[in-house]
Amino acid sequence: MSQAEVDDTLKRIQEHKGVQGFLIINNDGIPIRSSLDSTLTQQYAALIKSLSDKARSAIRDIDPTNELVFFRMRTKKHEILVAPDKEYTMIVLQATDAS
Amino acid sequence: MTQAEVDDTLKRILEHKGVTGYLIINNDGIPIRTTLDASLTQQYAALVRSLTDKARSSVREIDPTNELVFFRMRTRKHEILIAPDKEYILVVLQSTDVQ
Repeated sequence: MSQAEVDDTLKRIQEHKGVQGFLIINNDGIPIRSSLDSTLTQQYAALIKSLSDKARSAIRDIDPTNELVFFRMRTKKHEILVAPDKEYTMIVLQATDAS
Repeated sequence: MTQAEVDDTLKRILEHKGVTGYLIINNDGIPIRTTLDASLTQQYAALVRSLTDKARSSVREIDPTNELVFFRMRTRKHEILIAPDKEYILVVLQSTDVQ
């Protein structure tokens, strides 16, 4: 994917109904792109990185041939969508009451 | 909910297209109902207990007024749906290739 395609995809995600923000973190948990303020970015980066690592290794503990592909947490206020990948993890926040 | 209503609901869940099994664990991580074999039950019970606790506290750390309501992990082989509640956690395994 070229940088332009990445930007277009991120723009499309951000314009999706209900999407409140996103961030992309690398494998060290460092946020490399974010639409959130820096405090929130740091919090999500740290917490989601560690949760995602735990979820990934738990899946592999149960079945070493299986692999975590995606996960979503629904909270009272919004939904947190997490797409882990080899080098990056994409996190999107989306309102739950998007009609 | 009466015991009969609980049983009916669990039966309905199990008959849902794609559902391959479920388990219910209490707050100590002890499985109290399950359709899986003993070894898988123990593995999922341990995994879900600790992952759910971490997810719940991560959500509250970011926003103490927020609360985890549901979470789902999509793996290559199936989806794991986790519904945490005050006293129990319901875990349902569902295949991903449902029409």
